[in-house]
Amino acid sequence: MSHAPVVVTGVGCTSALGTTVDATWAAACAGRRGIAELRLFPTASHRTSIAASVELAEPTPAERGWARAERFAMVAAREATAGIAANALRTRRAGIFFGSSTGALFEGERLLAELLARRQPSVRPIAAIQNDGPGTSIARALGVRGPVVTFSTACTSANVALGAALDALRSGEVEVAIAGGADELCEITYAGFNSLRACDPQPSRPFRASRAGLSMGEGAGVLLLETLAHAEARGARVLAELAGAGRSCDAHHVSAPAPDGSGAAAAIRQALGDAGAWAEQVTFVNAHGTGTPHNDDAESKAMAAVFGARSAQLPLTSTKSLVGHLLGAAGGIEAVLTTLSIVHRLLPPTAGDEPIDAALGLDVVTGSARALPEHNLGLSTNLAFGGNNAVVLLRSWR
Amino acid sequence: MNARAVVVTGIGCLGPYGAGLPALATALASGTPTAREVDRSAGYHRRHSAQLVAGCAGMDLSAWLSPQAARRMSDLSQFAVAASRMALQDADLADVRSDRTAVVLATALGPGGFTEQLARQILEKGGKAASPFLFTDCVANAAAGQVAIDLGARGANLTLCQREAGPLLALAQGAEEVGRGRADICLAGAVDEMKPLVHALLDRFRALARPTPHGEAARPFDRRAAGALAGEGATVLVLEAETAARARGATILARVGPSVRAFDPTAGRAGFGRDAAGLAEALGSGLRGTLAEVDTVVSGASGVRTLDRLEAAVLRATGSDRAFVMAPKAITGEFGGGTLATAILALRGADFAVPVACTQPDPALGITLGGGTHRAGRVLLTGLAAGGVAAWTVLDQP
Repeated sequence: MSHAPVVVTGVGCTSALGTTVDATWAAACAGRRGIAELRLFPTASHRTSIAASVELAEPTPAERGWARAERFAMVAAREATAGIAANALRTRRAGIFFGSSTGALFEGERLLAELLARRQPSVRPIAAIQNDGPGTSIARALGVRGPVVTFSTACTSANVALGAALDALRSGEVEVAIAGGADELCEITYAGFNSLRACDPQPSRPFRASRAGLSMGEGAGVLLLETLAHAEARGARVLAELAGAGRSCDAHHVSAPAPDGSGAAAAIRQALGDAGAWAEQVTFVNAHGTGTPHNDDAESKAMAAVFGARSAQLPLTSTKSLVGHLLGAAGGIEAVLTTLSIVHRLLPPTAGDEPIDAALGLDVVTGSARALPEHNLGLSTNLAFGGNNAVVLLRSWR
Repeated sequence: MNARAVVVTGIGCLGPYGAGLPALATALASGTPTAREVDRSAGYHRRHSAQLVAGCAGMDLSAWLSPQAARRMSDLSQFAVAASRMALQDADLADVRSDRTAVVLATALGPGGFTEQLARQILEKGGKAASPFLFTDCVANAAAGQVAIDLGARGANLTLCQREAGPLLALAQGAEEVGRGRADICLAGAVDEMKPLVHALLDRFRALARPTPHGEAARPFDRRAAGALAGEGATVLVLEAETAARARGATILARVGPSVRAFDPTAGRAGFGRDAAGLAEALGSGLRGTLAEVDTVVSGASGVRTLDRLEAAVLRATGSDRAFVMAPKAITGEFGGGTLATAILALRGADFAVPVACTQPDPALGITLGGGTHRAGRVLLTGLAAGGVAAWTVLDQP
């Protein structure tokens, strides 16, 4: 099916590597990890003690009472929209499509602790606890009047949101969309993933033979998307095309991926069809790559199913090894990094120096950033609890 | 814009009124909610808090869910799976195992019970005490994932978190999955559970009606309105392409009409906005000629005065106040998708009583609730959410 192009004209992110795109990109290309000892809450009672936590400046008066995830989202959204006139967003033809898995659970935990201690907490954090906080806060701050939708599909949330934005732009419901995700670290997800033995006590080692789990992270990743006509009319610089999206469900297990990667493969094929592209045209992959043994194994099988023998020569990286696993925001920051890979023709490395798991049959970029060809079609994949799979394809623009 | 006409061919619903559309019909005909006293033993509630909840405690779901399966799920997942199975039975669909079956659910509050239990484990006993069982079913999309696993639905699996607007956004998203040809069948709807902690938080935020000399009740559009009745339950609709439904001889309950999504940036983080003119303009221009033929409004008004004032102003500005207006949340409580089920019932034709708590229409709002036997031709469903999101959907006679 042929669609009017949807293009990326702005990017913004907040991560443990920095609170700007430039800082995050420079660190990612240098292979620098943002994963360190966690200071957000005490970790003595947890099984691990590291994460990729974001250091934020003190909140402005307008941000008092905001959850961390809302602040991450706002920082990233302001950066992504820095190049567009405010009036272009204060309209019904602008929308927000956002993903968040934890919402403001960190603040929710503090609230519950107060209640359990029989204290009378402020009600202000209650407003932020629901998962739609980051998306609606952006909408309110920027004066958006079109559709505002929050998806919460665990680790695929932001990729699902990007797909929904693509639909809305293609259908003509909106001309401009702010899309991505934000999530914050909290004890529930930290302890929860640890209870599944899914966290590596060391910084995560995706696709390595020694891989032993993920590293939790937090932050936000946001794209400014426009119809090509809107972008051209205002003379915007096009960074890339959001070419396609695909979604599927394993219907297999609440927390483990289908071992054969069939659900992820179906989502990739759907995205290729949506983009009007062939598997042979994909030039690199920003993989889900959590570093858990099961995920990386299933994902490698999905790559083999879609790309065949070429999966062993297709450059692939896991930026989660650098910024941590941002859960509902993972697709957002990975879409930002995939866009930058297209702009700079450079694929950041997967952190670590242990041997790659040869049994996976993948060309994992390690050591230093890998140069990419002039024209690229980048695939960004995410898999999630509930058997959820969501992928997006970003393409070089002309 | 959907390329294929989409119809509703089945419904499953459960709530404080019981299980199934006949139970809802009985409740709506009586005009009396089924509410019971909320458990305040945990100490989360303040002394003069709301005391009633429209809950599903003790409901027998064994016709749709085995006790063994139920033990592995949160209440939220149980509600969703039971309502989905009920909907498929109603649609006379025995087997929907396919990558062409999608699931789209909205939840405003998510699995609050499991989340609270997990948080208490961590706060009281440390991170290592966290239960993996609780964790995997405490993400917002766990219910949709459980539905997919139960039914073998391998298409898109989406969960939206957009407070009171969620059910309509989910219906619109589900119709889009089918209408764009990405799915042949979509189970779309809403699910929520109402545990004492969430009830207490809503009460602390002054969202709930409290005891008064007139009793404790939700009174939408009534001069005595002072808050909502917190509810829980699930409503799931089976959506199919009209051509496919007719080809298999399915009973068509409704045709899904156009939807409109908008945002009111004058809304506070937890409150309702004031821009009725802007919302009315969005609704009017979004639905164009469709709006003039609306003969029934299933309103999302809940008894929260700021919501009802905004809702009434939008209805008046668009002329929708002249239709037969219903406010089913007075009976079903807020959350659980009762408005979706009520709209299907209205299209089928039923007896509707003016809720017994709503006998004194607020003259300042100018909305008089309809009562008596009524069969709708075209229903406008409204969903204005705290925080600023707005959604409207039209359902037509087939």
